[in-house]
Order: sequence, then structure tokens, then C-alpha cells
Amino acid sequence: MIELSHVTKRFGDEMAVDDVSFKVAKGEFCALVGTSGCGKSTTLRMINRLLEHSEGEILLDGQPIRDFDAVQLRRRIGYVIQSTGLFPHWTVARNIGLVPRLLKWPSTKVHSRVEQLMHLLGLPVGEFAHKFPHQLSGGQAQRVGVARALAADPDILLMDEPFGALDPITREKLQEELRALQSRLHKTIVFVTHDIDEALQLANHLVVMRAGRVVQQGTPLELLHHPADKFVESMLGGVERGLKQAGLTRVADHMLPLSPTLPAQSRVPSSMSLRQALSVMLRDHTERLTVVDPHDMPVGELSMRKLIREPKADQGHDREH
Amino acid sequence: MTVNTRAATQASRSPWQIGIPLVWLLLLWLAVTGMAQLEGFFRLFEPDVRSVIYSRVDFSLLLGRHLFVVAIAALVTITLGLASGIAVTRKKGRDFLPLVSQLASMGQTFPPVAVLALAVPVLGFGTLPIIVALMLYGLLPIVRNTLTGLQEVDVGIKEAARAMGMTSGQILRQVELPMAAPVIMAGIRTSVTINIATAALGATVGASNLGDPIIAGIVNGNTAYVVQGALLIGLLALSVDSTFEQVQRRLKADESPRNK
Amino acid sequence: MSLKDAMPVEKGRLSWFSPNWVLLLLSTIALGAFFGLETASVAPNRIVSGTGYLVFSALGWQGALLGMVLILALIGFSCIAECQEYRDAYKAMLVIVMALLALMPFALMVATSRLVDSDLPQARLGIGAGFWVTLFVLLLALVELRTRLALARIWSWSLLLPIGLLWWLCLSLWLEPLALMREYHSRSEQFSEAFRQHLELVGTAVGVSLMLGMGLALLMRRYPRSQKAAFAILNFLQTIPSLALFGLLLAPLAWLAANLPLAASLGISGIGWAPALVALVAYSLLPMVRNTFIALEEVSPAVIDAAYGMGMDTRQVFLQVRLPLALPVMLEGVRITTVQAIGLTTVAALIGAGGFGTFVFQGLGQAAMDMVLLGALPILLMASVADALLGAVSDFLRPGGAK
Repeated sequence: MIELSHVTKRFGDEMAVDDVSFKVAKGEFCALVGTSGCGKSTTLRMINRLLEHSEGEILLDGQPIRDFDAVQLRRRIGYVIQSTGLFPHWTVARNIGLVPRLLKWPSTKVHSRVEQLMHLLGLPVGEFAHKFPHQLSGGQAQRVGVARALAADPDILLMDEPFGALDPITREKLQEELRALQSRLHKTIVFVTHDIDEALQLANHLVVMRAGRVVQQGTPLELLHHPADKFVESMLGGVERGLKQAGLTRVADHMLPLSPTLPAQSRVPSSMSLRQALSVMLRDHTERLTVVDPHDMPVGELSMRKLIREPKADQGHDREH
Repeated sequence: MTVNTRAATQASRSPWQIGIPLVWLLLLWLAVTGMAQLEGFFRLFEPDVRSVIYSRVDFSLLLGRHLFVVAIAALVTITLGLASGIAVTRKKGRDFLPLVSQLASMGQTFPPVAVLALAVPVLGFGTLPIIVALMLYGLLPIVRNTLTGLQEVDVGIKEAARAMGMTSGQILRQVELPMAAPVIMAGIRTSVTINIATAALGATVGASNLGDPIIAGIVNGNTAYVVQGALLIGLLALSVDSTFEQVQRRLKADESPRNK
Repeated sequence: MSLKDAMPVEKGRLSWFSPNWVLLLLSTIALGAFFGLETASVAPNRIVSGTGYLVFSALGWQGALLGMVLILALIGFSCIAECQEYRDAYKAMLVIVMALLALMPFALMVATSRLVDSDLPQARLGIGAGFWVTLFVLLLALVELRTRLALARIWSWSLLLPIGLLWWLCLSLWLEPLALMREYHSRSEQFSEAFRQHLELVGTAVGVSLMLGMGLALLMRRYPRSQKAAFAILNFLQTIPSLALFGLLLAPLAWLAANLPLAASLGISGIGWAPALVALVAYSLLPMVRNTFIALEEVSPAVIDAAYGMGMDTRQVFLQVRLPLALPVMLEGVRITTVQAIGLTTVAALIGAGGFGTFVFQGLGQAAMDMVLLGALPILLMASVADALLGAVSDFLRPGGAK
């Protein structure tokens, strides 16, 4: 779908992006991670040609993006930025309908599309359609930003730290919603963030950048298991890497059959992450947890002792990718 | 004003710039004392008239009167403007803040000529009405900038000062005024520079100053007179304005190491 | 509020006394001016300065009493304005101030009938300092009340409009012996001619400088290197005294008229509208260019980035995003320019450009103060109305009431 090969961007003498290559398959969620100034935003902005790359090739469905008209190309690609960039002089509805109107959709179609999107993003039409951006909270404004990006149903979505300016609770909620949205819409997403947890939560392909170069890329588990160097390791949380890893697997994957002995007092749902389950063990001072299904019926158990002795089975798993 | 300050920050701070006001002052002095020597030059404007150098009153006397009017007005406006700006931002005077700040912006719509014309019926002809008009007109930028400057001081800083045990007087003198000084200074600069030009209007109500040659030139159709008046007022304005610029730069220089 | 905090002991005793100090001060000044200063003066003709009369002789004891009662009521209400139990004190005061403003022209009528000898055809009634000060203080009180009651702009207009109409009606129908009206009637044609000239000059100057200013600002955005030089030149133009700039243009334009037949046939000459217009435009350029430039530059880069990112082309970004967002600040420039031009056009009367300045300077020349007033008052009025109208337009254009 999107392929960057040996892409370079120079501002004068300064090398902002240096020989960057990666591929994003259709329907994949790719996160560009790195500290600020590492060139991740620049890379993103080259994909919709807000910046032109200096060298290398950027392909969209196998075609160099320079073959497209830049304006037409951008109308096919959704774009969300941290400060929302909503037009302050337009209502929410008009902001969302921007790209369809640019594409000259008939107004009734624009109208129904706007309502559909507001519904999709949990913005009641009656309440929000005629509000102006300055009347919205940060979370609401960013929902409108996402709705605007999705308006013309683009296959590709570029997101530049979309949740960076939100408070932790709103951020988590919007991350959750984005994940749910992605599981329904299957867009191809390139997502820039400096928050490694956000990247691990949302993406299935990570590209870690530093000083304009790609340091390492792969699935979240690949990176957690085999960080390429000290930088990636510290980025991934150093010693807390184990917990982050645990955060990516479900209790169900490590569950043992119910043992005939007395079941443990503490119960956790099988859909919980292993990380949260470990936290419950620490809180309740117990080595064993009873795993329950959504109907609160015991289906298995989790044992700290067994967890530690688990073979590193998922390593072989990773290599299949 | 925005542009002035922006240009001032961009320009590098080199020692020879302190000389700029002196250069303008020197030129002003040369123009006042040596205007008669420029007769050949002014002849170019008006080849046909008998006299091309305004000679009814000595230029140095006109300059002195002009400066006197502007200085008196400036003294009163700075004192009154600062005092009222400070008073209405204190706790006791806060009730007057909305009215004063609205007046400061509304007063800007009163044209100085109209103010001058209205002052004449009350005060008669001469120097007094022009001083009053300049006072009223020059007061507004100072009040407005004093208010802006004092209100822009970070609430956190004032609170910290209070928490350290400073009295309100100490906070005003040691925190608020020094921090607001560049903005207040910009207001004073605008006020005085505008008033130097506006004072020329006094010539129409019988106040004798550098506006005299201009009026005489317009009435007699003698451009040379107009140029002489305009030249002296321009040089005076540039001298004063560049002096203020140096002061402002000093104030900013004091502040920048703290900001960086 | 602050008083209550500072004196908790007296809270019980004087609980009703929580004044609005501003209005208390203003209404006390009004009372002082009403009784202490001359309400009106009478002169047998336009040159002789008149004899002044205090309120009792001008309005009679009935008029003085009515005025006193109303102003005392104002003082009373301002003493309890901040008290919790009397929430409507401000509204009551608004009503009283409006009533006083409406009664003032009638007071002039009373003074006319009492003081002006109808046998003298040139006898005239001058408005006294007491009247002016009271009027001024009442207008200030209105400003304060508007703030306290948080009245919307449209409301204050709809309150002031009927009062203005009433004044106009009284002035034009029944107040002929008023010095101002005598002055007006003897030159009503000149007056409307001056009004027309003034409007034309201001309108043309603002229109031309708007076009030029927009063009310049756009050029400066395209060629950033020119910015510093351009602003330096425009700043320099503003430091030339207006009087001098008008004077300096006399000679070149006279030369133009003498040597270019086309210029002469267009009506360009050394005196009159041509130098006035050139000078007005020169002065108007700085505020216009500065506001347009800053307005266009200050549009949030994130919004522009998003606009391009959504696939708007350069023209769409400019017309649909940058320009509408810049408009309120640009209009601010138009407002400043217009108000400034109204004042400067007055000075232009000195070089024969006409307008209300003609009355001002003729009046000054003849020491006829009523004539000066006839020129100066409309200028003040024009400037205030232009300021308010353009301010309202700019408010209206602010997207969704955003600041």
C-alpha cells in the first residue's frame, strides 16, 4: 500500500530524514516512534506531499507519489494533527464536510455523510453540528478532527500525534475508540507518536526512528524481545520491558486448566492483559488467580510460578512473521 | 509600534547605535542655526518669491516653544497616566478599571483637531489650549500601555512574590513595574512622538511654535517655509524617538538575560 | 466588595451601604456641575461673548428641583448598587440616566423661553459648561452601566438611538435660538456641502488605501525581504506632521497641474482635494498595511497545515481559510484608518479641501466659537459613529463569536 525506499529529506544542509525505508501493508497500523526532532513528523508529511522528499522513492499502491497531483492525492488521504487544525470560523458540521465538498459531492450526500461520521465518533448531531471549534473540549475537538479526516472515506489515514495534547484519561479513551474504529474500518494508518505505550497499544508495526534514521522496525513483540540497541531498549522502558511485554498478551494465552485444588480467591477475566493480572497478584498478595469468562464462570487459573517457568515459546512465534 | 519593537529586537546591539540620537540632535542643531545658509537650496522650491527663509521669528525660539509645550504636556501625561494606570489595577481602585480602560480605547476616536477646537472656547487662544489638547490626546496611549503592561505580569509571579512575604508596595516597585516597563515605555514613546507632530496644529490657534512656518507657507503659498517647518519637526521627532529607542533597548537588555 | 472585606466590624451596621464607587463619583460630579457651573449663556449676537446663568435662573426652581431629584436618586442608587438585596439598582439607574438624557433638550427649550429675548432676532442661547459637564458625566455613567449590566452592543444602540432622535427633533423644530442652531441655519447649505466633502474624502482615502494596502501586504508576503524597508518607509510617513504633509504636497501638485493638461482637466491642483487625498492615503497606508499583513501572518499555522493536508489548493486555502480568519483584524485596520482619516480631513480644510474643518478654522479665524463647535461636534460624532459601526461589523465577522 505505502512503501518508502531510501527516502531522504534535506532542509538546506541539515539532514532531517536519512535513508528511511519501510512498508505499510493494506489495513496495517504502523507507528513511527521516536524522540522529538527525530524526523518522524517530516516522514509523515512527505507521504501526503506537504513536504517533498529530496531523494528516494515513495510509492502508493506501487505508483510513485510524484505521479499524482499533490492536491488530489491529499484528498484521498486522511490527515489528523495534534492541534486539530479545525477551522475556527466553520461549524463542526462544515469542518467535517470539508473534503467531500472539495470533491464536489452533492450536498445531500455530504450532509448524510457528516451525520454518519458524527454518529460513528459519538458526537450527537443535534448537540454538536452547529457548534464552533472554540466551544469544544480537547477530546471533542480531536474527535471532530478524526471525523474530518475520515469524511471522504480515504483508504489511508495519517495521524501526527493526534492525542498528544489530551489529558491521560481522554487520551486512553480515544485510543480505545481508535482501536475499535480500526477493527471495523481496516484503514491503512501511519501514526506518529513519542509515546511508546501508545504505539505498543495501537500499532501492529513499529518503526523506531532516531536522528532521521530508522533504528529498528518490526512487530511490538519483536521489538520487545530483541531490541536492536540500547536506545531502543531504553525507549521500550528498560527494565520495565517485561511488564510492557506482558501488557501485550491476554490472560487467556497463559491460562492453565482449573486444578482440582481449592480455587484461588482473586478472580480475573480471561480478556484482561497479563500485565494487569500480575498487578492483581501483587495487590492481593497471591501467587494464583482464578480466570473467569464474561459470565463470571471459572474457566482456568493463572499461576505466577508457572508463568516464570514458561518457555520463551512466543519467540519462535515471532519469527514466522 | 509592533513593528518598531520587532525591528528593535532584531537589530544587533552594538555600541555605535547609542550615537544615533546624538547624530539626529546634531543635525537638528545644525538645521536650527544654519537654516539661512541653505538659502540656495530653498531657492529651488520657490525661485520667484522674495524671501525663502522664514524669518518672522528665530528658529531656535520656535524650537524652544515647541519643546516647552511638548515637555509640559509629556510631564503631566506621564504622571497622570502612570498614576491612573497603577491606581485602577490596585485592589482599591479596581472598580474604576472597566471605565478607565474603555475610555482609553474610546478616546482614541477623538481627533486631536477637534479636541483642540473644543479647548479654545473654554481656554481662549494661545499656548494653553494646545497644551490641554496634547495632554488629553497623549494620555491615552500611556494609560492603555500601563494597563496592558501591568495586567500582563504573570499572576504566578505576583503570587510567588506575595508568598515570599513582599508587601504590595514592594511587589509594585520591584516586580510589576520593572516587568511592565518596556510596554509602558513604548506607550510613552508613542505619546511623545505623536505629540511632537500634533503640537504643530497649535499654530492654528495662535500658539507660536514650529507649526508657524508651515501655516505661513500654506497661507502664502510658499513651499520653502513649509519644508523648513517640516524639516525641523521631523528632526526633532527623530531625535526624541531614537532616544526613546535607546532607552527601550536598555530596558530589554536588562530583561533578556533573565528570559534566556 | 473590598470595603466589606476590610471592615467586617461594620458589616452589620451599614449592610445597605455597598456602593458602586464609580457611579457614586460620577453622579456627585453631575450634581456639582448641575448647580455649580453655568447652565446656559445668552448673547445678543455671534461675536459678543454672552452672560452666563446658573441653573435657577436658567430652568426656574421647578426645573432645578426635577434635575436635583433625579441626580440625587442616582446618588442613592449608586450607594446600594453592590448590595445583594437590591439587584435591580443598576437597571433603575439606567432608566434614570436615560430619562435625564431625554430631558436635557427640553431643559434647553425652557432656558430659551426664559432667557432669550424674542425681540432680538440675533439673540442666542449658548450651552454652558454645567450642561456640557453633566452631559459628559451622564455618558460616562452610561458606559459604566453598560459594563455592569453586560449589555450587548445592539442593546446599547437601541437605547441610544431614540434619545438621539429626540435630540435631533428638538434641535431642528424648537431650538432655533440655540447659538449652534443659529450658526447652522445661516449656513445650512454649506453645512451639507461640508458633510458631503468630508464623507467623500474619507471614503475615497479609506477605499484607495484599502486597495493599495491589501496589494502591498500581499506583495510583502510574497517578497519577505521587502518587509523591513516597506515598514520603515511607512513608519517614516507617519512621523511627518499632518500639517506639513498637506503643505509639502502643494507645490508638486501645482507643478503637475501647470505642466500636465490631463492632470489639470482631472481637477488636480495644488490646493483642494488632490493634495488632501494624497496625504490622507499616505497616512492611512501604515495602519492598513500593518493590520492586513499581521492579520494574514497570524493565522494559526496548524490550521493552514490542516487545510493543505485535507487537499485544499493554494487559492482555496487563501480564500476559504486565511482571508476569512484574517478579516476581523483587517477590519480593525479599516476602523483605525477611518477614524484617523476623519480627523485628518479636518486639517485638510487648511489647504482648501473643504469638509467640516472649514467651519473650525473659519470659526477660529473669526473668534466665533459657535462656528468652531458647528465644525468640531459633527467630526466627533462622525468619528464615534464610524468607530462603533466598524467595530460592530468586525464583531459580527468573528467566527461564532470567538475572540
